[in-house]
Amino acid sequence: MTKQTLLLLILPLFFAAACNTGGKDNSKALKNDTTRLTVMTFEKQADSCIEKPVIIEGTVLHLCKHGGKRMFLVDGTDSIRVEVTTGPKIAKFDEALMGSRVRVYGTLKEERIDAKYLNEWEAEVKKPVENHNVGVHTGAKGHEDQGVQEKLDQINALREDLKNSGKDHLSFFSIEADHFIELK
Amino acid sequence: MQVKTLRRWNNILHRDIGYLCVGMTLIYAISGIVLNHFKSGDFLHPDYGKSYKDFRAPLPGNGKADLAYVNSILDLTGQKSSYKSYITGEGYLQVFLNKGFIYIDLTTGEAQMERKTTRYVIKEMNTLHYNNLKHLYTWFSDLYAAGLILLAITGLFVLKGKNGILGRGAWLTAIGIILPALFLLFYT
Repeated sequence: MTKQTLLLLILPLFFAAACNTGGKDNSKALKNDTTRLTVMTFEKQADSCIEKPVIIEGTVLHLCKHGGKRMFLVDGTDSIRVEVTTGPKIAKFDEALMGSRVRVYGTLKEERIDAKYLNEWEAEVKKPVENHNVGVHTGAKGHEDQGVQEKLDQINALREDLKNSGKDHLSFFSIEADHFIELK
Repeated sequence: MQVKTLRRWNNILHRDIGYLCVGMTLIYAISGIVLNHFKSGDFLHPDYGKSYKDFRAPLPGNGKADLAYVNSILDLTGQKSSYKSYITGEGYLQVFLNKGFIYIDLTTGEAQMERKTTRYVIKEMNTLHYNNLKHLYTWFSDLYAAGLILLAITGLFVLKGKNGILGRGAWLTAIGIILPALFLLFYT
């Protein structure tokens, strides 16, 4: 009886160990598959990496103060900003990261903005109580404190971009972070 | 089951759930006040206190906002020891410090230094309130919310008589329901 109980206790440990090894193999496969991106070439590289694992390094320019769910990386200049959002394993991006150099491991995501989305966004902005999370986050100084008119201007500018693109949507790329390290 | 026994169990439940919920209630209430005022624009950040100092910075002599210029700004402001990094943008320079930054308009020389102080404990409370932790905490906070519902319902039946739910309690309960409804009515 004691032996049977012991066996029952040990068996799950073997299963757990077996599963763990599988996990390690997966992470190796993930590493081989990972594309190294740079902030300066992000826009050019992003198209070919949608939903794929990526690594990127940059300096944290801005963190959204509403829950710390997104941050923006730059490299020397703010002409190109890469949006990074928290994945399931990250509680939040702390504002103390501002100005730090970080290496982010994550998955590249595409958000498609079409005419329907812009119409819905416009309707949301015109409501008396607007939703902060709706719309496109740019990471530019003060973008979280935009007034209604500024947001409507942004929507109209995007409508113009959409028209000029000749496509039915605009693509915005971001990285959903699995984990990140602060580089010294 | 007799009414007396029911009330006894009701009060026991109310008492014990009340004890269990005290910690989380304080966390949600205190961070709730902070987040409320952050949302209203009274605070710039829920986790950090921020202060600003405006000053005039000399413009870069060679026209370039490079590391030498950044060092001169750090000397000017006495922030050399807390330097982290810097970036340049269209007509501006931003120097990041360990607890804040310096922003300089490179066309006018107008500059602003932000210093921030961590609101310890409040910051952790906000993390819980926002459910940034996710995972098991989602279930735990759901459990707490269910506890609050039970606490509210059992609270209605703690007392009997003129101060109970059939007397003064009914009026107070009604006020507590009508007031938020009125806010919705007037502000939406």
